[in-house]
Amino acid sequence: MRDVGIIGVGYTPVFVSKRKDVNISEMISEAVDAAFRNTNLTPDDIDAITYGNMETFEGVNMPHLWGADHCRAIDKPYMRIATGGTTGMSTLHSAYYHVASGMHDVVMAITWEKQSEGDSQVGLGGIVMPEAVCMAQFGMDLFGGKGMGAMGGGSTGAAAYQATSYLHHSGASPEHIDKMAALERSNAALNPYAHLRKKTTVEDIQATPFIAWPLRFGHTCPTSDGATVVIVASGDKVEKLADSVAWINGVGCGTSDPATGNFIEGQITDPAEQEAAKMAAAKAFAMAGIKDPKKEIDMAEMYNGFAHQSLMWLEKLGLCDEGQAHVMLDRGALNIDGELPTNASGGVFSTNAIGASAMNRPAECALQIMRKIEGGHQIPKKIKNAVSHGWGGMFQYVTVTVLGDEPRHG
Amino acid sequence: MTFEMGEETRIVQGMWDISTYQYMIDGRGMKLLVDSMKEKKIRGIKCSNCGTVYVPGPTFCRKCYIDCDEVVEVQDTGEVMSFAVEMADVRGNPVEEFKLTAMIKLDGADTWIIGTITGIDWKDARIGMRVKTIWVDEPVGSLSDIDRFEAI
Repeated sequence: MRDVGIIGVGYTPVFVSKRKDVNISEMISEAVDAAFRNTNLTPDDIDAITYGNMETFEGVNMPHLWGADHCRAIDKPYMRIATGGTTGMSTLHSAYYHVASGMHDVVMAITWEKQSEGDSQVGLGGIVMPEAVCMAQFGMDLFGGKGMGAMGGGSTGAAAYQATSYLHHSGASPEHIDKMAALERSNAALNPYAHLRKKTTVEDIQATPFIAWPLRFGHTCPTSDGATVVIVASGDKVEKLADSVAWINGVGCGTSDPATGNFIEGQITDPAEQEAAKMAAAKAFAMAGIKDPKKEIDMAEMYNGFAHQSLMWLEKLGLCDEGQAHVMLDRGALNIDGELPTNASGGVFSTNAIGASAMNRPAECALQIMRKIEGGHQIPKKIKNAVSHGWGGMFQYVTVTVLGDEPRHG
Repeated sequence: MTFEMGEETRIVQGMWDISTYQYMIDGRGMKLLVDSMKEKKIRGIKCSNCGTVYVPGPTFCRKCYIDCDEVVEVQDTGEVMSFAVEMADVRGNPVEEFKLTAMIKLDGADTWIIGTITGIDWKDARIGMRVKTIWVDEPVGSLSDIDRFEAI
């Protein structure tokens, strides 16, 4: 396969709760224009386009075709991707496949969500709607929680069960979730493209109420409007077109049993097990020639709708031993100037335009490697290898992308 | 950063009504389960190849990818695999009564169900805790025949 590198990133000028001044396609065009501006490329340089979001969150079917002009996609090969929370990274992987295969040389990957226009709860509910209605027909108490149910964990859903299970098996305490939350929110305060940008202390987080113990209001992500565009190119095009590059050295994705969903057929398992993460990481690291991720990975961008997840993923991806992530947090290793800076951007936990959320992870890694971070969250040390991660589906679909300052192969 | 939001554009209301969709669902395993609950029993399906016991039962084993229809009864006691305590709604408004809910692995089953646990202070809840089913007095063949779970 050919070498493929990220040569530029374009964000919407802001990620916020409500962009009432633009429609979906107008908002996306801001990030498309930014990507062209940041790379000095024009639409003529682009061979093909991949595009990702979740249609049920806004209720717009085929938004890529509606917005083809704003996406500068007229007369170009164009493919839309929707894989849940992982959509952003799946869209990048698709662009990677387009180029690595030799089919195309320069591909633009467009990802976005404009959650203020829709109802993400309805969108998420659509995942299990038939089963929930079936359970109700068989006598499940949908709202009172009496009897044998399928859904629990209150407003946070099964994430609270995941957090409890993770704390139990790792030896971390609920206070470690507070600490991780404060660290990431404070990182986000340095990032002009983050949504919740307020320097936050552990005490600030602990002043927020519990929604479903062990998860507090201050442990949960916002819903955002925003778009992220990444341009990838083949090795020879990188030489001709780019002044800086971050190489995509390994990609992986994996699926395991749904931890939520298909519950009318006995399909509920430990939401903290995450075999798919181990599978996807092993594949991506092997492809990138990373033999010991604990030593070789310089930074991590983890997909964390909830603050406990950053710690959990570090363990599942093999960036530290099981039960060690909170120990690393305590000794400052996860800080921007630590051994393994984790979510220097503030993570999904601080900015969540869902279709773009799993794209912002590798985009941030690429900008860190290229030392093109705007704002105050540039990691001081040189980044040779970075790992980014996406998570979604019914708690069971994981994507991993390993990026590097040079092309590396296993 | 110098970004100023532009003027608000026109907003039009729309609706995507998923209640108009008609989904096909086999539901055999659910029927088996609620029929057994009428007798205060819990029945699922066991894979004849790998022995995995699913509650409610599926029509095929997801590990072996073979049809399965062997009915097995599991116990109405089990172990808490994870739990959460519902304390507030999503806007942070406290709920009137904290509710302890758990993922429970019934003895004899390999999959988990979700239920409410009463009779214990939530602070004493722990993973690995043993619980038993409290049935309603007059079961009718419904998932609500299980009233709740109690710590043993």
